[in-house]
Amino acid sequence: MIRRLVFLLCAMAAAPALAHVTPPVLLVSDRDAVTNLLAGSKRYFVREVRLTSAERQAVQKETGWAPDEDFYRFYLGRDDQQHDVGAVTFLTEYTIHGPVRVAVALSPDGKVKGAAVVEVSEETYPWVKRLIDQGFLASFAGRDAHAPRPQRGGSSMPGFYGDIIAGLVQRAALLYEAGILKRAHS
Amino acid sequence: MNGMHLSRFPLSAKVFCSLFLIGIGCGSLAAFAQAATSVGISASAVQASLAPDLPMAGMRHGEASAEREMDLGELSSAAKVWMRTPLLIQTSHTHLFGQTLISGLLGLIFLFVPLREALKAAIVALPFVGTLVDIGGMWATRFVSPSLSFLVITGGTLFALGYVLIAALSMHDLWLRKETT
Repeated sequence: MIRRLVFLLCAMAAAPALAHVTPPVLLVSDRDAVTNLLAGSKRYFVREVRLTSAERQAVQKETGWAPDEDFYRFYLGRDDQQHDVGAVTFLTEYTIHGPVRVAVALSPDGKVKGAAVVEVSEETYPWVKRLIDQGFLASFAGRDAHAPRPQRGGSSMPGFYGDIIAGLVQRAALLYEAGILKRAHS
Repeated sequence: MNGMHLSRFPLSAKVFCSLFLIGIGCGSLAAFAQAATSVGISASAVQASLAPDLPMAGMRHGEASAEREMDLGELSSAAKVWMRTPLLIQTSHTHLFGQTLISGLLGLIFLFVPLREALKAAIVALPFVGTLVDIGGMWATRFVSPSLSFLVITGGTLFALGYVLIAALSMHDLWLRKETT
């Protein structure tokens, strides 16, 4: 009886251990991410854009990713003369290890100003930390939505998460281009 | 259960059950601390993490874009989790499996505590009901009404109450009950 009970307990306890997604690790608050990435801004604005089906298709054609949110939010920074300093948007990818949330800053010309990892899971953190320590996020600066992604190479977990982050940065740049830049020029 | 009580278990089984109960208690405390620091343990904090993301710029249905000036104070200065729907799905699947299995293991031990059947049935149901109310409350907060965030707190409280009663009564039966022949 007791042996059966112990066996049953062990078998039941193994299942949640295998299925568990580790808790989130929050590296920076939204406010700090916006402040840091839009340094030099004196006034801040929030702009929300709802993509048309043509804009959604254009983004999907470029990346394979279908933007399915009702709207996308950009935080805009402007200087004393009301000139745009840049825009920040937050995007998330849900991986098997948990979410990866990234803040991406874009210059008024659509080029990436900077990027910061905002949230990862506890399990993912060591892999992403290695990327952050290596300056991987700084390598996006100056790239536009159509530039080739920085290659991390290899099949390691940092490499996998490097591709995830690079994909999110590219999506942010494409969303900015479709929802703000092209609309301003049309 | 069928005359088999925790107090009559051999020492090894008593140690096993006790350490399991203590371990789950420690895990529950850690989970409480995790919930308190990453989300918060008030209904308003749960609401802030789970309620749907509404437009900040006043964009109406069908509008292509909207913009307004904002104060940075509108953005959270604390690193707080906001649960998007995919994370809610992920959390639901892990917690429904995990908490239900924990409830099952707790209940399995508790079945060997000699108590009136009605009372035992009520106590053994608490962690299960708490789990369902907790996770169900998350979905209700997101998709029915943000005001239902109190269900998440209620569910967590029921789970905790169930654990405390099961652990206390089981420990009492394991180590303090005197067997009468």
